[in-house]
Amino acid sequence: MKSEILYPGAFPMARVELTAGEAIKAESGAMVASSPTIDVESKMEGGFLGALSRKFLTGEKFFFQTLRASRGPGEVLLAPTVPGEIVMMELDGVNEYMVQKDGFLAGDEMIKLDSQMQSLSRGLLGGEGFFILKVSGKGTLLLNSFGAIHKIELKPDQEYIVDNSHLVAWSGTTSYNIERAASGWVASFTSGEGFVCRFRGPGVVYIQSRNPGGFGAWVRQFIPVSE
Amino acid sequence: MNSPNALCFGEEFPATGVPCHVEVSPSGLTVRFQDDARGLGELSLSFSTVSVSAGGLDHDQLVLRWGLTSQVQTLYLKDPAVIRAFRSAAPPVLTKHLDETAATVRRVRSRNRTVWAFMVAVIGGLVLAVWFSTDVLVGWAVDRIPVEWEKRLGQSAYQDFLVQQTVMKEGASVAAVHEISQRLLEHILDNPYTFEISVVKNDVVNAFALPGGYVVVFTGLLEQAKSGEEVAGVLSHEFNHVLERHGLERIVKQLGVVAVIGIILGDQQGLAGVMKQVGVELLSLKFGRAQETEADVTGLQLLHRARIDPDGMITFFQRMSEQEQGRVEWLSTHPMSTARAERLKKEMALLSKTVPEPFTFQWETVQASAGAVRR
Ligand SMILES: [Zn+2]
Repeated sequence: MKSEILYPGAFPMARVELTAGEAIKAESGAMVASSPTIDVESKMEGGFLGALSRKFLTGEKFFFQTLRASRGPGEVLLAPTVPGEIVMMELDGVNEYMVQKDGFLAGDEMIKLDSQMQSLSRGLLGGEGFFILKVSGKGTLLLNSFGAIHKIELKPDQEYIVDNSHLVAWSGTTSYNIERAASGWVASFTSGEGFVCRFRGPGVVYIQSRNPGGFGAWVRQFIPVSE
Repeated sequence: MNSPNALCFGEEFPATGVPCHVEVSPSGLTVRFQDDARGLGELSLSFSTVSVSAGGLDHDQLVLRWGLTSQVQTLYLKDPAVIRAFRSAAPPVLTKHLDETAATVRRVRSRNRTVWAFMVAVIGGLVLAVWFSTDVLVGWAVDRIPVEWEKRLGQSAYQDFLVQQTVMKEGASVAAVHEISQRLLEHILDNPYTFEISVVKNDVVNAFALPGGYVVVFTGLLEQAKSGEEVAGVLSHEFNHVLERHGLERIVKQLGVVAVIGIILGDQQGLAGVMKQVGVELLSLKFGRAQETEADVTGLQLLHRARIDPDGMITFFQRMSEQEQGRVEWLSTHPMSTARAERLKKEMALLSKTVPEPFTFQWETVQASAGAVRR
């Protein structure tokens, strides 16, 4: 699999070249166009129950698709739903990444995707839902964000505080705690001020420069309310 | 070169760490780096120079540190085999602290498990309660759903359906259906719905009503009916499915589990998805027997109040059931039986005798208008 990111910036698209027989996993609905040699296999990553729970508990799409160059070499064009950057990373087989449910765009066939149940407090307060995607293995991974992607590198024991709704992915060697953003728990709940994650290195944290929920709220104020 | 099984971190290392291979020996560890560019090559560490802790997102990684405070290097081990080897080879001073950490992690995990088990039990209990719930619980839930919400649900399915159909805008059949509907609607008490009725060009013998008061009558039904009173019987029955909120009852019953979990977790996105799915299924919704009986009985009463001869309802039902074959789709959602007809006759006997008021249209004209569609 050879990939390149076209039109980097707000409206990028990923072009993935596949040799005969090669395949990638992609978020269902990410495919924009492809060579006629590419077949789409819908597989339920993480088993039926995994897929079902993902769908109902996180509202996520039921399937990841496997796009296979089963009838000869070809290429696939992929794009995320929302405007925002795509980043390409090479997984080395040792580093694992946790990816927020909308952050995954595509990955090498050899990459393993697991939905991981979070601890209750992280699930309730974290804003990523109860399931996040654990990505491991060796190969290329394509992530997408709402807005631009910013990478934060953390040395061992270095800490950084990130607003929950801006999280895209973070490495498995980091640990994090959920903390309230406002001065009190009650204030947090009532003011709608969300929660923040205090990350502790080593590792990297990818954040997005825009917050989907915040954007949604901003758009909503312009939509006329019908009686 | 063995494949990497650990990550090494330090001041001058990248934030994602450098993959390396760790081997445990009785005296310490050997760390081999894959790329020699850093001149790291191989590193031997004796147990006496390292400190141990647990780290990573789930505290399931073994963290080893060594070196001076300004030049500390950190090793993250995740491979269970290496962690086991380390714990059995390292002196007790090191592992004692680790055992304490492990115990803490286990405690946290078991607490998390307990919390999850509790949540699952609570949710499961609610699910069971809804699943086995009597109509009382469903009714309770349905009562809490605002009519507005129901209208929006029905309207979107209605519009989606009509887009694919040819809707008749004028003609004798449209006028007749509206006259019949008007007669019935005038006699509905406390009607929170604004009924919308469409006549659709299609020789399928069917009619249906969506939650919120959206009703579709096919021209095929008009052709098969022998009088306006027969059509009125079907419409009265369908209207009462709406008034009794039978559609919502079915949805709540079917979605009980998912809806309840969604509501508990406050997951509106998931719930919205489920609702969208429901919109599609509304069209093939099949009512329960109790609901059909209810719609029959209340439908009959409505006909009576509107002074429409209720005989039409019964004759139509009976004639349709005798036809059996053909494209009488209404029968697939409304299985006809002698018991049903008997029941209707019995109900009718209870009603006071009134003089029916005939409709103003000529049925032959209506049928001609409905049948003309095909020609
Ligand atoms: Zn019915």
